[in-house]
Formats: sequence, structure tokens, C-alpha cells
Amino acid sequence: MPALTVLGFDTATAATVAGLTFNGQSFERRDDPAVGARPGHATRLLSLIEDLFKDGGVGWKDIDRVAIGVGPGSFTGLRIGVATARALAQARGLPIAPVSTLRALAAGALEGISPIEGISLRPVAAIIDARRGEIFAGVWEGEATLLAPQAVAPDDFCQTLRQLGCEPTAVGDGAVRYRSMLEAAGALIAADEASEHRVSGPAICELGARGDLVSLDKVIPNYLRQPDAEISLKS
Amino acid sequence: MILALETSCDDTCAAVVTDGGVIRSNVISSQGIHDRFGGVVPEIASRHHLELVNAVVDEALHKAEVTLDDVTLVAATQGPGLIGALLVGLVTAKSIASSRELPLAAVDHLHGHIAAVFLEPQPFEPPFVALIVSGGHTLLVDVTGPREFALLGQTLDDAGGEAFDKGARMLGLGYPGGAALERLAQDGDPNAFSFPTAKGVKGCDFSFAGVKTALLYAIRDLGEKEADRRRADLAASYQSAIVEALVQRAQRALDKTGRARLALGGGVAANGALRGRLEALAVDLGIPPRELCTDNAAMIASAARSVEPLAFPMYLDLDVYPTGAKGL
Ligand SMILES: Nc1ncnc2c1ncn2[C@@H]1O[C@H](COP(=O)(O)OP(=O)(O)OP(=O)(O)O)[C@@H](O)[C@H]1O
Repeated sequence: MPALTVLGFDTATAATVAGLTFNGQSFERRDDPAVGARPGHATRLLSLIEDLFKDGGVGWKDIDRVAIGVGPGSFTGLRIGVATARALAQARGLPIAPVSTLRALAAGALEGISPIEGISLRPVAAIIDARRGEIFAGVWEGEATLLAPQAVAPDDFCQTLRQLGCEPTAVGDGAVRYRSMLEAAGALIAADEASEHRVSGPAICELGARGDLVSLDKVIPNYLRQPDAEISLKS
Repeated sequence: MILALETSCDDTCAAVVTDGGVIRSNVISSQGIHDRFGGVVPEIASRHHLELVNAVVDEALHKAEVTLDDVTLVAATQGPGLIGALLVGLVTAKSIASSRELPLAAVDHLHGHIAAVFLEPQPFEPPFVALIVSGGHTLLVDVTGPREFALLGQTLDDAGGEAFDKGARMLGLGYPGGAALERLAQDGDPNAFSFPTAKGVKGCDFSFAGVKTALLYAIRDLGEKEADRRRADLAASYQSAIVEALVQRAQRALDKTGRARLALGGGVAANGALRGRLEALAVDLGIPPRELCTDNAAMIASAARSVEPLAFPMYLDLDVYPTGAKGL
């Protein structure tokens, strides 16, 4: 069976990332805004997809499925990505494979040949800064999920790692932000600017190629957090 | 055939309208989930838009008995409104359009409210003065063409619909409370209390802060029990003050422009007292049916007919704009 042609994208973090896997080749187009700059999710994503089509010499008729990073991450960012995936699927009659953004981050880290000795033997913790003193984090070892994605305070997460006796490779902007705390808990973290800390477009595509297809009405962001109004109403 | 989306606040809307302004479908999915919060919560509204938008588009196409193959222009509200809510509609519209290499029309929500009167079967032709009163806006506009406007006045504080909603809350009614307040007012005496109509605000501008505060003080002065006993009178007097303020400014706008034609739009256009008072002005009135006064996508399609469409791929980087950023 020839490999699937997958268009994948993710807007859960500040970056706008798109990837294409076609004929055994992978392409990536991305927009990483400067620290503190407004993310380009709404304005850049469709242009990046057009660029990818040119890179790969493909058109809509060649695409077999859309893979979409469903978070966790920025609420507005997630909605832009998911709304785009749903509308493209609706307009082109394409199936959607939702992908965990944290899982994609972890997969990207497993793939890259690590500069740190022994790093690939460790589990990988993918960590996205969730603001307000929390992180979105999940831990994987190969295909196995050691800790499912959750919103958690960084010190509670470190505590859990210690309890599990897990000293993972940690990746993502959350790993960079809480580096010293995580390193104290035994985590290995690549340099701040290392590409492992960024979601990879091809990783979204590859997980999407293996992932389950979901009807577009069921594709919703994995927010992992309730809206503030809902939380304050309950308390 | 135009496919239009509108998601600026809490209604998820899609419509199919012909190039000639005939409505083929006009689907509105009201979220009706903000009641318990006493107002629209942007994050919750945005989440619901995302869950509903594709099904609403499907339904609009289905009801119009067309497919995307028949669509020649995609339109969406670009602003003003809630950022997160607008994004769902605009991103969906851009994605549908770009994947089929269709042109896109980015529409201003207020242009949409005005353009509601251009729709068949009874299009109201310019020139006229438009009075738009909704939950988020209150303005008077001199309309001389499908896309030629001059702003005559607007609210300096709350919107007219917002004044209805806040008054309704003080009287213990749910959100949005405009319609409930009108029902309560039917059993009351509009002259029982004298509430201000912002006499100090000259020209065609509006202010509803005073009437709101006056109601608050009236309720406090009466005391809980007496205020409760006289709720209908309070509602009727409050409604009457808002309606008078609106009608006064509309009259000034007609005088100023010398026009004898007035169009009404926005959710408050449903208000019977307001309609009655405007009818008494003895001008030619253009009031669209109720479902075209509240937020809807048919009005966005109507406005799109006079907007310069952006050809593919000129609109890929298009962004939304929030309330107060630009627009009319
Ligand atoms: N019968 C009525 N009398 C008075 N006000 C009413 C009546 N029916 C609806 N309204 C008011 O109309 C408003 C809703 O109108 P609409 O749907 O046009 O506006 P919106 O979505 O809140 O704002 P915008 O159009 O500015 O984005 C609410 O404030 C509501 O209370």
C-alpha cells in the first residue's frame, strides 16, 4: 500500500506549524513568532499550507487526510487550527485524524538524534506552558503512555516524576520555562533554542497517518481546562 | 450564490443568498447557554461556535437545496465583535473558500445590520436614515447607497439593547432580558416614573447610563417589597424612557438629513413600543422581519453583495477586528 499523503498542522503553541508527508518525503513550513509577539495562527496558517502544496508539488486532490494537533494549548490558537481542519475537511470531503499536540512534541523528541548522551533511552515528557503557574504535560516511553496529558502545577508534576522514579527527557516551552525545577527532579533538557522544544509539522503528519479518523463534528480541542466563568460559577 | 457566516457574538449563523438578494436559507443556532452567567461569556461562546459551525453551514446548504459547487462567493463577518467568536467564522469561511479557490467577502457587522433591509422580497432602497439598536451597538447612519454611509450619531456608553438587558436584570428577569422586559411592561404604566432620556446629550448621540442609574435608585428608594409590587410600572417607565431617547434622536437625524425614510435594525427592533412610536413619525419605515433584525448571516450575505470581493489567495492573511477597532 502506498504511503498516505497527509496534510498536518498545529496551532496549540505560539508557533503556527504545517507539515506534508507525500511519497516518502516530509515537508514543513512554520511561523515561530518572536518571544512576546502575537501568534500568527489566524493570518499565517492557510498561507503556510499553500506554500507546502508548492513545495511538494501537490494539490487538494492528492491529500488523503488532514491531521490536526488538538492540544492542549492556547484556547484561541487551538480553535483556529481545529476550525481550519474541520472546514477544509468539510469543503474537500477529507477525513480528519486528531493528534495530541503533546504526543507530537514527544514524538519529535524521540526522533531527533539527541545531543545528550543516553537521552533516547529515557521516557519523554512533553510540556507546554499553560500560564497561570500551570503546565500541560504528558509522559511517553516509546508507544506507551506513562502519564496522560494533564494541566498541573510544575512542582506537582515534578513530585509525580519522583514518585514514578521517572527521569525523562523533557521538551517543549514549558520544559524551558521550568528548567531548573525539572532538572532538579532528574529531567534532561536540551538547550533553550533546540528544535526539540517545538512542535514539528511532520510529527503531526506521521501520528495522523497512524491515528484514528474521527468525523469532523467530533473533532474538538482538548482544552484540558474549563473556561474561567465556569470555574468561578462553581466556586 | 453567496454562502455567508456570522459568529460575532453568541449566535452561530450561516445563510445562502442569491446574487439578487433572495434568501434561500438563513440558519441561526442560538447558544442559549449564557443565561446563568448573566451575559455572554466569550470563551464559552467561542467553544460553542466551533462545535456548531460546520453543522450550521451544512444545514444552510441543505435548506437552500444547493451544494458548495453552487457557491460562487463566501462571506463572513470580520468585525466588530468578540475576537474568539469572530475567528471561528472567519477562519471557517477562509478555509472553505481557499480550498475551493473561491473569492471571499469580509463584511462589517454593522454594514450587515443595515444591509438586512436590502434583502428580497421587500428591499428598502437608499437613501434613508438607519437606526441600528442591538445588544452591542446603537447608531444612526445616513445611508445613501448599498455601501455609502455617514455616521450621524452613536452611543456614548451602553448600547440600547444592553440598557434593556441591564434593566431586566435589576427587575429580576433573565438574560438577555429585552423581550421579557417588554412583556412585563405591558401591564405597567409608562408614566408612573419619570426616567431621564439623556437630554444633555445633543445631536444624534445616545447615552443610556443615566436611565440605568435612575432605575437602580428608584428600586432602592422604593425598597424591595414595594419595588417588587411595582415591577410592571418600573419596566414600562424604563422602556418608555429608552424608546423616547431613541425616537428623539431618530427624529433629529431625519431633520438634519431632510429624509423621510427610516430603516430600523438590530435586536431591539423587535420592541413593539419602539415600532409603535416610529410609526407615529409618519415617515416611510423599513423594518425587516425579526429574524433579520437580530444577528443572522443573511444580512452578512446581503452586505457582501456590495463589498469588493477578495480573489483567492488575497484573503489568506485576513484577520478579524474587535469591537471599537474600526467599522462604520
Ligand atoms: N422585544 C425586545 N425589546 C427590547 N429589546 C429587545 C427585544 N428583543 C430583543 N431585544 C434585545 O436585543 C438585543 C439582541 O440583539 P442582537 O441579536 O441584534 O444583538 P447582539 O448580538 O447582542 O449585538 P450586535 O448585533 O451588536 O453584535 C438584546 O440586548 C436583547 O435584549
